[in-house]
This record gives sequence, C-alpha cells and structure tokens, in this order.
Amino acid sequence: MSVSANDNAAKVSVRGVLAKYSVLIAFAAIVIFFAIASPTFLTPANLFNVLVNNVVMLAIVALGLTIVISSGGIDLSVGVSVDMASMIFVMLLAVGYSGVVGVAGGLGAALIVGILNAIMITRLNISPFLATLGVLFIGQSTQQLATSGGQPIYLTSGYAADQFNAIARTALFGMPTPVIVLIVLVVAVHVLLHRSVFGRYVQAMGAQPGVAWYSGIRVPRELSMVHVLCALLAGVTGILLSATVKSYVPLSGNAFLLDAIGATFIGTTLSRERKPSVIGTLLGVLLLAIVKNGLLLVGWNFYWQQVGIGVLVFLVLAASFGLRRVAH
Amino acid sequence: MSASVLHTEVAVSDEKQAAAKSAGRRFGALVVRLGAIAAFAAIMAYFVIFAPGFTSTFNLINVVEQSAILGVLAYGMTSVIIGGGSDVTEGGIDLSIAANMGLCAAVYATLLSMGYGDFLSVLAAIAVGMAVGALNALAVVGLGILPLLATLAVLNVAAGMELTLTQNTVVGASSPLLGVLVSGSFLGISALAWALIVFSAIMIVVVHRTSFGLRLYAVGGHPEAARAAGISVPFYVSFTYVLSGFCAAVASILTVSRLSASTPGSGELLLSVLAAALLGTVFSRRFVPTMGGTLLSVLFIGLLANGFQLLNVSSYWVNGVQGALILLVVAITSFARGSEGSR
Repeated sequence: MSVSANDNAAKVSVRGVLAKYSVLIAFAAIVIFFAIASPTFLTPANLFNVLVNNVVMLAIVALGLTIVISSGGIDLSVGVSVDMASMIFVMLLAVGYSGVVGVAGGLGAALIVGILNAIMITRLNISPFLATLGVLFIGQSTQQLATSGGQPIYLTSGYAADQFNAIARTALFGMPTPVIVLIVLVVAVHVLLHRSVFGRYVQAMGAQPGVAWYSGIRVPRELSMVHVLCALLAGVTGILLSATVKSYVPLSGNAFLLDAIGATFIGTTLSRERKPSVIGTLLGVLLLAIVKNGLLLVGWNFYWQQVGIGVLVFLVLAASFGLRRVAH
Repeated sequence: MSASVLHTEVAVSDEKQAAAKSAGRRFGALVVRLGAIAAFAAIMAYFVIFAPGFTSTFNLINVVEQSAILGVLAYGMTSVIIGGGSDVTEGGIDLSIAANMGLCAAVYATLLSMGYGDFLSVLAAIAVGMAVGALNALAVVGLGILPLLATLAVLNVAAGMELTLTQNTVVGASSPLLGVLVSGSFLGISALAWALIVFSAIMIVVVHRTSFGLRLYAVGGHPEAARAAGISVPFYVSFTYVLSGFCAAVASILTVSRLSASTPGSGELLLSVLAAALLGTVFSRRFVPTMGGTLLSVLFIGLLANGFQLLNVSSYWVNGVQGALILLVVAITSFARGSEGSR
C-alpha cells in the first residue's frame, strides 16, 4: 500500500519535472536531431547565421512582449512599433539626415506608439487586447497612407547605405553590432524585470492587479512604462531590420507578432506558475529559430517549415501543459 | 446608543449612495449603448446624404454579400468567446479561424480542379475545417493549453498546410454550386446574401433562443457554477471550437465563390474577425458577446468600407477608421463599465 503511494508520488514528481523541462528536453532533442540530419547544422558559421538572421530581431521584440505579458497584458501592436520606427528611420535617411538623427526619429516614432497604447490602456481603461488591436489597425492605415498603399523604400547605395552599414555590418568586440545590442538589452531587461523594484511591481500587477493597486503601486504609471518600453524595444528591432535589409517594407513588422507571442509563452512553461521570464523567452526564440534553420538545412521547403513549426510548438505546449495537468 | 444611530445613518447613506450609483450605472450603460448606436446612425446618415447610391437596393445587397464571409467567421469567433469567457489572455479565442478558412478553401478548390464533384469537395472542406476545430478543442480542453497559444500553433499548421497544398498560388475553381452562389438569386436577393441571412438566423436562434445557448453562456460566464449545475463544461467548450472550424469551412466556400478561386493571404482576415466579434459586445445590454451584436458590427464594418468607396475615399483609410472606432466604442464602454465596476 505504502509502496504504491510512494510509486505514485515518484511518478507525479517525474511528470512534474518532465513538464518543467519539456522545453529544454525538446530543445536538446531538436539540436541533436538536426546535428545528425545535417552536417552543416552545428558548424559555427551556421549557428552564427542563425543568431544574426533569425534570433536577434525576434528576440528583441519578444523581450518587449515578455515585459507586457508579465504585467498581465498583451501588445498586438508590436508590429506597428517595428514598422513605424523602420519607416521614420528610413525616411529620415532618405532625405539626407545622419544615422543618429534617423535612429532618434525612429525610436521617437515607436515611443509615440507606446504612449498611445499607454493612454488607451491606463487613462481610457480599454483592455490591452482591444487597445493595441485598434492601434494596430490605425498603424496599418498610417503606413498605407504614408507610402501610397505600401510602396517599399529602398536605399541600397550612397550615404544612407553607409549609415545602414555602420549599424548592421560593423563589429564591436568581435561581435556584430546587432548581437551586442541584443546582449545589452537582454541583460538590461533581465535586471529590470527580475531584479528591480519596477520588475516586482510589474510581476505584482500581472499576478494580482487588485492587490497591486491596494498595495499602493501606482498601477497606471507602471503600466504606461511597461507599454512604452515594449514599443521602444520593438522600435530597436525596426531600426536593426531596416539597417540590415537597407529598406523599409510597409507592414512587415506583423511577421514578428505571432512568433514573439509564441516564444514568450513557450518560455512560460519553464515556471510552475507559468510566468514569463527573460531566460524562458530567449529559449523560446532559440527554439523557433533553430527549427526554422534546421528544417531549411534538412531540405524542407519553405511551406513545410511553417507546418513543422506549428506542430513542434503544439507538441511542446501539449507536453508542458498536459504533463503538468496530470501532475496536479 | 449613539454608535448604533451613527451606524444606521451610515448604513442609510450607504444605501442611498448604492441606489444612486446603480441608477447612475444603469444610466451610464444606457448612454453607452445609445451612444454606440447613435454613432452608428450618424455615420450611416452621413453616407446616406453624401455617398451617391448608398441606399440603393443594389448597393445594400452588395454590402450584405461582401459581409457574408466576415460574418460567418465572426460567428465562429463569437461562439468561442461566449463559451470560453472573454478574459484577455485566458479566455476563449480562436486565432486559427482565418488560416483554417484558407486551408478549407484550398482543399475545396484543389479537389474541384482535380475533377471531384461538389458533394465530395464540400464534404472534404467541412471535414477539414471541423478537424482543425477538433484539434483546437483537443489542445484547449483535453490538454489544458491556453486557447491563445493552442490556436496560435494550429494557425501555423493550417497556414503551412494551405501553402504546401497550393504552393502559394491561386487555384481557380468552378462548379455548379459555385455557379449558383455567384449568380443565383431568390426573391431578388442573391445567393451569397441569403447565405449570410440564413446562417445569421440559425446562429441567433441556437445561441439566444435555446437552452443549449443559455448553457453555453453559463459555461463561459462561470465554469465552476456551470459544472456545479451539472453542465458538461468540456463538451460545450469543445463544441465552440468545432463550430468555429465549421464556420471557417462554410466561409471558405463563400470566399471561393466570390473570387472563383482559392487565394493565398486569407490569414489577414483574422484581425477583422476579432474586431467584429469584440466590437459586437457593445450592442448588448450587459456588454457580452452576442450573435446579433456581431451581425451589427459586421454590417457596420461592411457599410463603412462601402461608404468610403462610394465617397471615393482611399481604401487605405478604412483600416484606420475601423481601428479608431474600435477604440472609441470600447473606451466609452469601459467608461460605463468602470462606473459599474467601482462598487
């Protein structure tokens, strides 16, 4: 009798552990699989390529969403922040401004999106989902109006191209500048979210908004900050994106939205309470990036990649949620 | 003695305040509902006066036709939100509905172009749509994955399968059924418009006039209470996702008939579907999602796009105005709700 009880307890805890680390296990399994399936997968050149092309930009957007989702909200307008930063940045360079002015302008545009979200959510009491959905629609219209229906702007030569190269093609301490930017932002957001007073407020608002309010946290102020930070981070991605592809393609930022939400929530499976964390989010981004790259190397065509990613994310979520449900 | 008097006085004044508040609350809610409808009416009046041909029967039927696809999808989304609760991150939502429609359309058009008849092709499209819905149901109900996440993963699967099936190309399609949908009419109303009218009628009756619909609201409003009352919560929630898949399949046949083909890019409809389903809550007395409210907001979005077209306003404005209206309507709603919430 007691043996079977012990057995049960052991099983439950094994399941709990499996649930907790299902993402890590999946991650390891996928890396091993692709390492065997494709000889080029584990080469430094390929891993570097994944980091620069698939990880950096998505990770920065996902960092912003991690903050917002920690606060109990959502930001569907991150794509607009990416696009607006990209648009203003490229437009300023197109008329001859320097890279510094362009970056400032781009971040300023993202800031405006963030402030708009913050006002909607904290002053007008609109739910984050609807507020940012509305801003998303407005942002799409703005871009279409500003580019006569979505004409891309290419700046592939001349002064502007040099400015782009100065951002995207230079190296600091032997690393490409975008990677350095990512590392700095990861550390900054980690400290902010997990080691600062602000972070505690954000977590409190996410866990118990009412209690946070009664505890004297100035919820509107902190929540505004959360949305502004998210928009600014997305703006950084917009600038890196434009500098890398030397152009502004309208409405391209939305491609980040679903992946970033996916990465953040995959990251939440690391914690028992399903709280987002910077480490978890990074793991989610890496998982998505490696699967995309691996499927490409194995020779799956582009269309199958999306199916593969969907199935994989589904399985990881199923393992994590399903096992934990059994464990409880 | 004095303490008890004080106490009574406080209680009395509390009661008065509460009464005043609840009256204010009711008044506020009324203002919001009337305000939303008045805004609706004002915009329509503007179009009636300034947009040439806006009120012609031909144009109005055209709007209903154009709204058919969005409407059918929005009903699916509304049912999921009713059954799953309207919480932002944990509530019911089906992000895969538009991609599912794309997949069903691809299946339908591909089978037609391979020479299978209407019967088999429609059956296959509906089977695929409901299978995708069942997958969502399995993930949400069976595995307990957050709907937002589960349907996000399924969105990728469905969109990817559509791409593999069509290689990102337009698949032309024609069949007797499509012919009827395109050019058939009854009592002077075209087949597509009939499709929306009939579908709306069925949804409104089922959700708002049957005990089934009442139980569905109970499940979404308070799952524990529903369970205690003996309602099978998992069944009802699963049902909404499968229904949503069914709606996607029906919408796919309508979209193939409108375009005479299955075309890539149907995923873009997702945001409009969400907007329609969420905007619809404003038209209900207690700000809950209702089928009638969804129908009104779908028609509103359709009339808005149509009016702009007739006024020769660039279509680039439509999204923005739609977004601004959502914000406006929801801001007023949450203002009324705010006075409701602060008890």
